[in-house]
Amino acid sequence: MSDLEILEAAKAAVIAADEDAATKVARQAVAQGLDALKVINEGFTPGMREVGDLFERGTMFLPEVILASEAMVAAVGVLEESLPDKKKDGHVASIVLGTIEGDVHDIGKGILATLMRVYGFQVHDLGRDVPLTSFLEKVKQTGAGLVGSSALMTTTMVGQKALEKMLKDAGVRDQVKTMVGGAVVTQYWADRIGADAYAENAQEAVAKALELVGHDR
Amino acid sequence: MVSYPTRMGDGHPISMTRDQLMADIIAGSEHAADRGDIPTLDEGECDHLLGLFMNPARVVGVQPGNEIVLSHDIGTLHLTGDQANSGVGIPLSRVQAIQVHERAFAADTMELAHTDYSWKPVKPIIAMEQQELENALLSTIVPLFYGAMPNLGLYYAPDGPLGNPSDLLPKGKIKEALEAQELAVEQAVRDMVYCCGKIAEVGGDGINLDTTGAAGDADFKAALLAIEELKSKHPSTAIQVGMAGEFVLGLHGSLEYNGVRLAGLYPHQQVKLVEQAGGDIFGPVVNTDTGKSMAWNLSRAVTFVKACSEAAAIPIHVNLGMGVGGAPLFETPPIDSVSRATVAMVEIARVDGL
Repeated sequence: MSDLEILEAAKAAVIAADEDAATKVARQAVAQGLDALKVINEGFTPGMREVGDLFERGTMFLPEVILASEAMVAAVGVLEESLPDKKKDGHVASIVLGTIEGDVHDIGKGILATLMRVYGFQVHDLGRDVPLTSFLEKVKQTGAGLVGSSALMTTTMVGQKALEKMLKDAGVRDQVKTMVGGAVVTQYWADRIGADAYAENAQEAVAKALELVGHDR
Repeated sequence: MVSYPTRMGDGHPISMTRDQLMADIIAGSEHAADRGDIPTLDEGECDHLLGLFMNPARVVGVQPGNEIVLSHDIGTLHLTGDQANSGVGIPLSRVQAIQVHERAFAADTMELAHTDYSWKPVKPIIAMEQQELENALLSTIVPLFYGAMPNLGLYYAPDGPLGNPSDLLPKGKIKEALEAQELAVEQAVRDMVYCCGKIAEVGGDGINLDTTGAAGDADFKAALLAIEELKSKHPSTAIQVGMAGEFVLGLHGSLEYNGVRLAGLYPHQQVKLVEQAGGDIFGPVVNTDTGKSMAWNLSRAVTFVKACSEAAAIPIHVNLGMGVGGAPLFETPPIDSVSRATVAMVEIARVDGL
């Protein structure tokens, strides 16, 4: 296979969520002496980006996205072996994520947790109905640079405002970027409470998070 | 340059020029067409929408002869629920609130519903709900529905016995997540058929399976299977199906109904399956993007719903309110926006009801 064919095969394997094919391409790339970073950046990563786009357009679904992610992780594992300086902890950033106390809606937040893992974030998912103090404790414990809170109801979105204050009072607000989302949450609300970002959906949230931590998508 | 007052999708007042309005109308329609693989609005329809936004009246209405019927979801909570329940907190019994809808608000149909608004918690109190429905039926004339959500979320931990796909999927436990959803379908169908059967027994005029698909494609599948079984047992009971969103979330991804994959279906495709199952009224949903103008959102919503109306052989009652159907995402959406969305849905999307 030519170099270009290998890059194309890497991309196709991720889009097809085919772990066997992805690791086979990775091994072939190593055998042919290709630059591992080039294969990751120009083969597997564009494949994963397309998976994200297909998810956003509703033609690829959550279980398939996870399988695609697993295919990429397996392939990258093979390629990493050939890197002279192995970079084992490849997390883009760390995020504490949860649905505000009193709110049991967690489907959207769950999708976001999955997508963020797919894009290389270390996700500390606190789940749903999360007391505000738990967000703070987790931030202190992990040193996460991002805090994402979700609220589906107008009665619980006020918790996002209280969370901003709690982070400020605890002296950690300057160390983190905050993101808010959920069905009733808007950019106006994010601006009003002083959150760093608002996202309309999970895909946009990933893009905004990458922007906040200074990574290109 | 003259500008016209309108709103953003979050309800904020803004002003836009004629050209800006038209640009957003075209862009919104193209967005829907691209996503749903459906036609855009034609020039005349875009002009009609533009006319609504340039109309100086605060409230607009349909032309005589274009009036449509209204059906209601969430029952009487608009009156009896407090603000936390999207209501106005008036202390009325549910039967009194139904009577107010009929006699004071001229409601064409009405719905009885329990505060929990999901079939699973209704099951243990169904005898009380039957009694309340019977009282309402004996003191009103309008067709009365009983409504609740399939809400598969209540079958997953911590509310139910099955593993929660929202927890399992991010952990990569795909097989477990899929199995939990398949089991939830079975349990939800059993609960819905049981409860709806009891409603039919006391003479309820109809059933509303509302916010269908809220927990993804399994939620939609449960509703379709329940409709099928209910129609075979209670053919004279009308079944209305209201959706949760414009698009069926693929939390499972592989579930099918009559050979059609459910994940990713848009309103014009959803309605065909509801018809096949035996549904009598379909309530499509199109979500509002709060970061876009109302012109963009309404044009997008009308494009989707028009395609749905054209595909449908059953009446379409579009969901129109807080954050859906082109209306801003606002607890009580402003009347200028709601009335414009209403006219557009009737005169362009050709809906049969709201």
